[in-house]
Amino acid sequence: MFNQLIYDFALWLDAGHWSTLLHESFYMYNWIETTHVLSLMLSLGLLFFIDLRMLGIALPQVPATTIARRLQTPMLIGFGLMVTTGLLLFYAIPVRSAQSVWFRIKLLLLLVAAVNALVFHYRMKQSVTSWDTAPLAPRNIRVGALLSLLFWVFIVICGRLIAYDWYDCERGQSGFIGVFAGCIEGQTQF
Amino acid sequence: MPPMFPASYLRSIATVALLVLTLLFAFSSVRLDAWGALLPLFEWMETTWFGVAGKTWGAVFAIVEAMHLLAMALLGGAVLISDGRLLGLLLRDVPVQLILSKTHRLFVIGLFIAIASGIFMACGVAMKIYYLPVYWFKMLALTAGVLFVFYIKRPLLAGGIDSLNPWVVRAVALASLTVWFTVAATGRWIGFSG
Repeated sequence: MFNQLIYDFALWLDAGHWSTLLHESFYMYNWIETTHVLSLMLSLGLLFFIDLRMLGIALPQVPATTIARRLQTPMLIGFGLMVTTGLLLFYAIPVRSAQSVWFRIKLLLLLVAAVNALVFHYRMKQSVTSWDTAPLAPRNIRVGALLSLLFWVFIVICGRLIAYDWYDCERGQSGFIGVFAGCIEGQTQF
Repeated sequence: MPPMFPASYLRSIATVALLVLTLLFAFSSVRLDAWGALLPLFEWMETTWFGVAGKTWGAVFAIVEAMHLLAMALLGGAVLISDGRLLGLLLRDVPVQLILSKTHRLFVIGLFIAIASGIFMACGVAMKIYYLPVYWFKMLALTAGVLFVFYIKRPLLAGGIDSLNPWVVRAVALASLTVWFTVAATGRWIGFSG
């Protein structure tokens, strides 16, 4: 039922004029994808430095709050760019994207990473006055930072694997893969 | 008597001259002979273990490519923080020398992983990239970026920015951002070409 809903929604998006234009435009699609990847340097690059600061690896002499606050805004601008371009990339090829195993795993990981970030932010706010200038953050903060790094490594890997068609519905998937990918029996559009 | 030109400025000028010569070579007809001479190397790259592994197992190639992107993110973060500081946009209350020295180590780690993963990927698609102009643009930009960091930016900023003209500092930061953006963008464009 859930898979049918997603498939119907993707079909509705695919029928859109702009979806086809985006998908068939060589330069527009490629520029959007390039922006999506390049904004990694802005968002993920700065996030790496925030997490590595908590682990005592990057800029340990600088107070943790200074790093977190000063880099947060440009990092969020980068994430905003990534989300916007990501939505456009999805809109360009909605059916295949919605039924991509890797895309679904990536979305799940994004959700988990967001929850981790909120928990991390909350814990940091509660306790930072006691360890702000210490080179190493407390254990629970370090765990949050390490988890953040791990989640984002797997998000990038899944993002890269979306391009590969090993588990595409068009190849006739069955069993767990078929269900997880949301393949609909008898579907004619991929 | 005119003041002595600082040694770092002379080194910067020499590096810029080398880059200009490289550009002139890259856009001259002489490059075709050099390009032809590299064909056996690229043919050999595809026969190496890296080349065979990259061609045979798409998953391996994809994961190495993801590592390349993550290394680029680390390198990009280091460049953005150091150049953002030089431009007075980021971490303005942190001393410049501290930012430059602490980000450089992670920059080098990111660069090393990016080059190592890049060599693996290049072996897997050697004959495709040999004929792609955008690949050679990327190599040119990468060479320029590495030379720029080690022979212009670091020596020039080693003694602190107080003795430097503020416009020189801004020019260095903007040039650094431009060259690394070019490396990243041309790298992405390889995927769309051929």
